Amino acid sequence: MELKDFSYARTILEQYPPERRFLLAILQDIQKHYNYIPRPILEMLRDYLDVPLSKLYSVATFYKALSLKPKGRYVIKVCDGTACHLKSSQSIIDEIKKVLKIVPGSTTGDGKFSLETVNCLGSCAVSPVMVINDRFYGRVTPSRVREILEEYGRLENEQTWK
Amino acid sequence: MEIIIDGKKCEAQYGEYLLDIARKNGIHIPTLCHSDALPGQATCRLCIVEVVEGSRRRVVTSCVFPVTREVEVFTNSEKIRRMRKNIIRLLSARAPKNEFIQKLREEYGLLQETRFAVDEKENCILCGLCVRACEEMGIFAISTVNRGIEKKVSTPFDEASDVCIGCGACAFVCPTRAINIMDENGVRHLWNKEFQLVKCQKCGEYFTTREHQEYMKQKFGEDNNYTLCEKCRKKAAGEKMAECYRI
Ligand code: SF4
Ligand code: FES
Ligand code: FES
Repeated sequence: MELKDFSYARTILEQYPPERRFLLAILQDIQKHYNYIPRPILEMLRDYLDVPLSKLYSVATFYKALSLKPKGRYVIKVCDGTACHLKSSQSIIDEIKKVLKIVPGSTTGDGKFSLETVNCLGSCAVSPVMVINDRFYGRVTPSRVREILEEYGRLENEQTWK
Repeated sequence: MEIIIDGKKCEAQYGEYLLDIARKNGIHIPTLCHSDALPGQATCRLCIVEVVEGSRRRVVTSCVFPVTREVEVFTNSEKIRRMRKNIIRLLSARAPKNEFIQKLREEYGLLQETRFAVDEKENCILCGLCVRACEEMGIFAISTVNRGIEKKVSTPFDEASDVCIGCGACAFVCPTRAINIMDENGVRHLWNKEFQLVKCQKCGEYFTTREHQEYMKQKFGEDNNYTLCEKCRKKAAGEKMAECYRI
């Protein structure tokens, strides 16, 4: 998948009738495909749905799940909800910060990882919880953080070797 | 229908808004986000009053509360004053140096809020009236951006908007004059953009932007005197009417 190639956005748009009620669903699909909402696509969407750009911008900046800046290929969400907080989610965040050298809300320079904190992922029983893309990790400890992240490191290398 | 506001009997129409009734009867209720031209915003909460019906008392925002029964209203009860003070304190934390907020603080004997870290330069209370005004113009150049403590009003990407016509409706309706608008040497500065101002063909005063004029012409037709300022346009309309009657 070429990130700079916005032509696929057309395909995403055309899966939906050009009606405003699909706005959020389309934005979610775009976010999923590109890891962010590229500006040219926002403009494409403006023309497709006939919605003012200001409205789209308002929606795109409102939801945490949408981002106007490119997110990493792996989005790490560390739960900092009440239960996880009590089970010292902060030490996990600190560990990730140390390993990846990023703060919550930012992305590593190579565009590989983004770090975010979220409020309760609904799995308090196995707190502290962390999610990377769609994978859940329960009862995370700082030492496991390194292991987990390393897995992703290797994964990435394997892909580039091919 | 008759309602009682602060002990005064007031004539009311079914469905009429409390604030309007109070105003008609010379009863002062403070407001910020209310505009007669764009009613129904109801975001500042300053206009709260207490509505009493039998044993039921409730606090409502008078600017959007339609009267449907013969109720009794208190605009300045102890409870309302206490609640309103809290609202003003919150507004002060948001826009501490704003002259309109300052005035409210004085009116309610409140000191400057010191509990919060404040932005002294902030004037916007995020009522959203400007966004409404722009929508009403049919332009949609601005919107609320972000959310929570980062919420603000802006153009997409904080850039000069490609659709803004510089009409200034947003700045005109803003209750706290938070929007930076400046007319200088025939140029209007607004929302990071510059607009050429045009002069009224009769009195020669600058009165709006070229883009605004063009937009109005396109929307309502050439023959509506959009080359004249508001004052001269009214005068022209009056003269035309007088002419009609003379015949
Ligand atoms: S700029 Fe003024 S009108 Fe617009 S939201 Fe802020 S206070 Fe309200
Ligand atoms: S608080 Fe983290 S899953 Fe509930
Ligand atoms: S004037 Fe009624 S809520 Fe602002």
